[in-house]
Amino acid sequence: MTMTRDPATVPAPDGVLGRVLRGPDSRAASVAVPVGAVLAALVVGGVLMAVEGVAPLSAYGEVVLGVFGRTRGLIDTAVMATPLILLGLGVAVAYRARVFTIGAEGQYIAGALAGTAWATVGPPLPGLLLLVSGLAVAVLTGAAWSGVAAWMLARFGASVVITSLLLNYVAAAALAWAVRVGIRDPGSFTPQSRPLGAAALPDIPGTGVHLGFLVALLAVPALAAVLRRTRFGFRVEVLGAHPEVLAATEARPARTRLAVLALAGAFAGLAGFVEVAGVTERMTPAFATGYGFTAIIVALLGRLRPVGVLVAALLLAGLTVGFDEAERVFIIPSTTVGVIQALIVVFFVAGDALSRRPGRRRR
Amino acid sequence: MDTLFTLATLAAAVRLAIPVAVAALGELVTERAGVLNLGLEGTMLFGALAGYLATLASGTPWLGLGGGLAAGAACGAVIALLVVVIRADQIVTGLAFTLFAVSATTYLFEQSYTIGQAPPRIPSLSMGPLVAIVLVVLAGVWFVLARTTAGLVLGATGEAPEAVDALGYRVPRVRTLATVAGSALAGLAGAMLVCGPLGLFVQNVTAGRGWVALALVVFARWRPGRAVAGALLFGLCDAAQLRLQGTATEIPYEVFLALPYVVTLLALVVRARRSGTPAALAVPFVRGGT
Repeated sequence: MTMTRDPATVPAPDGVLGRVLRGPDSRAASVAVPVGAVLAALVVGGVLMAVEGVAPLSAYGEVVLGVFGRTRGLIDTAVMATPLILLGLGVAVAYRARVFTIGAEGQYIAGALAGTAWATVGPPLPGLLLLVSGLAVAVLTGAAWSGVAAWMLARFGASVVITSLLLNYVAAAALAWAVRVGIRDPGSFTPQSRPLGAAALPDIPGTGVHLGFLVALLAVPALAAVLRRTRFGFRVEVLGAHPEVLAATEARPARTRLAVLALAGAFAGLAGFVEVAGVTERMTPAFATGYGFTAIIVALLGRLRPVGVLVAALLLAGLTVGFDEAERVFIIPSTTVGVIQALIVVFFVAGDALSRRPGRRRR
Repeated sequence: MDTLFTLATLAAAVRLAIPVAVAALGELVTERAGVLNLGLEGTMLFGALAGYLATLASGTPWLGLGGGLAAGAACGAVIALLVVVIRADQIVTGLAFTLFAVSATTYLFEQSYTIGQAPPRIPSLSMGPLVAIVLVVLAGVWFVLARTTAGLVLGATGEAPEAVDALGYRVPRVRTLATVAGSALAGLAGAMLVCGPLGLFVQNVTAGRGWVALALVVFARWRPGRAVAGALLFGLCDAAQLRLQGTATEIPYEVFLALPYVVTLLALVVRARRSGTPAALAVPFVRGGT
């Protein structure tokens, strides 16, 4: 991922993506590595807690109970998993095409901000129309925000890794300005936007979970079908595995990269507005909580497959919710769960590289 | 605006530029050898924490800088093990390492003091020595890269690893050393951040400076002097933003918050043509090809 090298000259992918893209060479390894990484991280987390003087097994028991032992735990997990699923799906598509964006956080902020601005200071529309149009604005803004990085790659050969990341900071500055001045609630002392009001997402009937979770659940099979059945999905796979092949056909790699990045941005923008409309109800300076970065863990751990993303997002959300609950019973530092989540991805990267060492491969 | 660029603002600009400059020089060394180290931000964080703890334990910020250097080298060894030895994907590994560092340093920091008390401040270095260190590092990196055989081999490893291999040098060893050396500088940069006028570690204290340094390397076209100049530009924007935050002006301070990043983006547009990018950057080396 350098700035100027023609991507078509990049050799066949190595590493995490190579394994995924080379196809179902070993179904067993593709599940064993993430599962092993999770278990290893939990063991290290257990050791950390033991050092702190907390019995690890009882603590983990409390974590499990914190999720499955009460309705609230399940609701919280679903609500927290919602943005992670949507963001993770977008990252997964991009990484499948070997387009390494780390701009999900910025696209998430930009989408949420534009959607909120539309719904709070835009044209006065009736409730449902306001919600749907707000979602559309958020999706388009997320796609456009990501599109800037795509355009800079196509036009100037600037690395998406760097540009997408820099755009995160621009989005964060835009958020700070918007809630302080641009779309500020004039009746509030602290900087924040007006509440969404009629554009808020209702709950799924009979549950305490907002409709966004259903949207995220439906997005999983939808994306899987697109990747498996459509021409676009095929191009994504070819771009990831053998960009020179795609370049040789009538399809232009640059155009596919643009589409991939726009799609990733659209998912992130959707996630952002769903989070405002379903959870926070207004924008505050604290809106950006790093979900866009956790989504990278989600996508990798989910093997860049839609179903895998769903499982990984639920797992990471469940860990966070469960640990929140366990902290009420045991004296566990609140950062423990963060360390465990980060260890999962480090172990995953190492395990993945080790599982494809040349020595084990027939040459 | 006329009161914006006072002497105090310029001093602040230099202060803010220092850690970014040193980190960018470190990344530059690593990238010249063909390794893209996206773990830079995480390495800076570990260096910052090590610098804080070492200063706290010893009472001298100079030992803090040594701690940062050592912690950075250790991070570099881990990253090199992953990307050079077992050839994990460089981009994914670097991201993973930085995500890990954010959580791990926060965890370790919270273990280091009693909850409920304010974490102690540390004695800090003044600007003079810090600026001197930047100049020494700049001169050192420039001299090694431009005037020594080691630097020539390092640069060649990033351009044409096959040729370096054919000459009898070990590409993995060169890349490992470059990653460790570059990361040591990144660790030092982190330590200079907390052992400087700040005198304190806080959660995520680097606040994206490692990422800025990464962008600056591209902006500087892999040239040491330009990397430091770019860091100064970043520091100037950052200082202007801090200066404006308290005052009511026509220009919202958030413009200056975004400005360093926008400027870097524009610089990428202007200079992104084939411009000194090491040809084998981020390409794993396998003897005899894959």
